[in-house]
Amino acid sequence: MTGTHPMIGAAAAQPPDEARIVVLAQRGEASACEELARTCRRQAYLFALQLTGNPDDALDIAQDAMLRFFRSLGRFDASRPVRPWLLRIVRNLVRDRARRRRVRRTESLEPAGDVLRFEPRDARPDPEALAARRQLQALVWRCLQELPNHYREVLVLRDYQDLPYNEIAVALKIPRGTVMSRLHRARCRLQEVVRQRMESGEEVADG
Amino acid sequence: MVERCPRAFDETLITGYLDGELTQATEQRVRIHLEDCANCAALLDELRTLREATMSTEFSKPDDTQWDERPRGRVSWLVRSTGWVLAILWLVVVGGYALWEFWQTPTNPVERLLVVGGLSAFALLFVSVVLDRIKAARTDPYREVEK
Repeated sequence: MTGTHPMIGAAAAQPPDEARIVVLAQRGEASACEELARTCRRQAYLFALQLTGNPDDALDIAQDAMLRFFRSLGRFDASRPVRPWLLRIVRNLVRDRARRRRVRRTESLEPAGDVLRFEPRDARPDPEALAARRQLQALVWRCLQELPNHYREVLVLRDYQDLPYNEIAVALKIPRGTVMSRLHRARCRLQEVVRQRMESGEEVADG
Repeated sequence: MVERCPRAFDETLITGYLDGELTQATEQRVRIHLEDCANCAALLDELRTLREATMSTEFSKPDDTQWDERPRGRVSWLVRSTGWVLAILWLVVVGGYALWEFWQTPTNPVERLLVVGGLSAFALLFVSVVLDRIKAARTDPYREVEK
């Protein structure tokens, strides 16, 4: 792959603050543990929600993920970024849960209606542009639920979680070049589904 | 629908370009191609619109009080672990005893071959999966921690 970054397969550098908090939490400092828990459980919940589309399942999975996270925090290398490890735990729990139910995820977990939050970021938003953006966000979110697991995972990690390719590669245990090619195919597939929905004139409910 | 690039350009690079994940040289190559290729430029626009929609999406989050109300899950983990240990012990003891009995009982050589062949096949599959896992774990930066 000509376009790959030189840091093939390497995880991104650990932000100094995060490393410090991890080290303090490993030493058992309550405030560091609390801060780490607060940050990580939010990330874990959001990722689980984005994969399952169901807030109740997401909360259960995030809770389990935090238990696993803190159970092995003592063995964690603090020089590495926490996020790919945490998100991998969540991804594995989501897969386990789907496997246990023995049905396809989209059949068992319909995306809940109150998952998305629409709050204008601009101080004086143009109502029409805002409505169009909300509608597109809701449509894309619904279409995402129709994609196969491996496409949804890579799309969520990149576009909703904003992870760089290196961290996605670590979280999914795939080469960095595969991240880019899979992400491209996933985006093209998502674009295709969105276009089909738009052409069929389907009404899109917010969230 | 955007048509495919007539010059068979590697469209995967457009995603890398959009995410700013290419090397400087490759990024320059993509930029030059986009200036000349309307199809790839249209694809980039479509993907950019899609990405802007996803990246600006906000999700509802539970407030902090909800976390403390959830069951901690330690009991279920303990029960499940104990169940696994007992199940494995049972399999080893009962399976070993059954095999021993089978070996001691005079049986038709064809039956014996079928049983031994079937068990060997399962054993080989198990070993191959374990070897794959070990190989994968060696390259995993998070191998020391739970996943």
